[in-house]
Amino acid sequence: MLPRISRALADWISAGARGIGQIEIQHDGGGFVLCHFDDIARKDLEIFRSPNDAAELAKFDDEGNYRPLKTAPNLRRGWRLELPDLEALQEALDFFYPGRLAVLAAWEANRLTTAPLRQTLHRQSGMYRVAAKISDEQIDTVVGQFCRSRGGNPGCLRTILWSRDATGARPSQHLPLEKFIAPIDQTGRGETRIPLLCQEACNLLVAEAREVVAEARETTSRAE
Amino acid sequence: MSVSSESSALLIVGHGSTVNPDSSAPSLEQAAAIRAHDIFREVACCFWKEEPSLRDALFLFSDPEIREVYVVPNFISEGYFTQTVIPRELELDGRLTTRPDGQVWKYCEPVGNHPGVTELLLRRAREVAPQVPEAETSLVIVAHGTPLNDKSAIAAKREVEKIAALGRYASVQNAYMEESPLISDWPRLTNAPNVIVVPFFISDGLHSYEDIPVLLGIGAESGAASSPRAVFRRNPHRLHGRNLYYASAIGTEPKFAEIIIEQARAFDEAALDLRPIA
Repeated sequence: MLPRISRALADWISAGARGIGQIEIQHDGGGFVLCHFDDIARKDLEIFRSPNDAAELAKFDDEGNYRPLKTAPNLRRGWRLELPDLEALQEALDFFYPGRLAVLAAWEANRLTTAPLRQTLHRQSGMYRVAAKISDEQIDTVVGQFCRSRGGNPGCLRTILWSRDATGARPSQHLPLEKFIAPIDQTGRGETRIPLLCQEACNLLVAEAREVVAEARETTSRAE
Repeated sequence: MSVSSESSALLIVGHGSTVNPDSSAPSLEQAAAIRAHDIFREVACCFWKEEPSLRDALFLFSDPEIREVYVVPNFISEGYFTQTVIPRELELDGRLTTRPDGQVWKYCEPVGNHPGVTELLLRRAREVAPQVPEAETSLVIVAHGTPLNDKSAIAAKREVEKIAALGRYASVQNAYMEESPLISDWPRLTNAPNVIVVPFFISDGLHSYEDIPVLLGIGAESGAASSPRAVFRRNPHRLHGRNLYYASAIGTEPKFAEIIIEQARAFDEAALDLRPIA
């Protein structure tokens, strides 16, 4: 029997999922062909054949900037990755969107635990401890910009499963309701796509919260 | 229960970076090398600053066949990350954590604690200056060093003492970026005609590509258009009447993969040692 995570991927593929995040997945005999979903019609794509190539393809955006958040909607274009089987597909997707298939499999098995943002922030120590001092209003703004599926800064294609705090409140009113409903895909293409789930605020958002608190303090101290 | 390809998984924990694309490379390469050995049923990495995160790692080993997960920090020493961040984020109770489904997570020592690191430092020094007689060479191990509690500085000092005790090099010396003895003082700290500098870091990045070369006086040679790794390929540098050889970060040495495996095995051996004597 397939391992749980492979099985979750196989089920989505056989259910007709067109892709995951910004990646289009096409069947090619027993194998798969991957490309950026905006490159489907292109014939001039550079061809790659190893799942390991996905690590480099995912590393930089079209401008050559490093992509610390792999679920940001800035995957580079111009490539075609040909993979022989499901195992290679899973390996490649684990480079493109690290950890997301495992989280999806856990969610489907009803084993995924989520953490409210304030719980994540209160757990921090060292330089990130101060992030816990962020206000609800600041969270509303930061999450609204940072996690926005399209047009955010940097933006993120994950579906948010965590609340702001123990009350269960949505972390941002600036984001549409579907941003918080799994398994809705966040690319806005209206297709069946494998969802990228977010069970807990990432370290990048925690760092952003810290920045917001630090900047607000600086502004206050300047005003005084 | 010991390491088994049927029931054991390996989780390599790295720091990662939001700005340095090479930070996670050693962990990912070592994971790929270990996977090829077929020692563990699954091998995965997670990172503090990259994906998958340490929190994601809680869901990476969901198959019931995986009965134990060996967690090996790919860190150069014990310290804030190994003692505070990793246990907290991975929800580890201590060295041994049993999950609700009975899966056991074994928290191993960081790679930098392994005695084999000394041999890897010697190997890196030989590689960077293969024809140079050790007796006419000063070896400098450079760590970050801060006025705060920096245990990597202690680990670097321990390595220097071990290498110095071998009596092979003309001198063996610690130096730091931010505390005395400063690496920028290398002409005064060393006395041999050849000087080898090895950065005591897990991965290459801003420190090994730019900061240390500048402090050594070889940074100006780096062209912005060239690969950052070019700085390791221009040896020797002729400076202050010496031949200076500069190596890449010690953690990029492929043999660290073996050390990761050994740290997992060492966990079980240490656990055996802790059994009460009958």
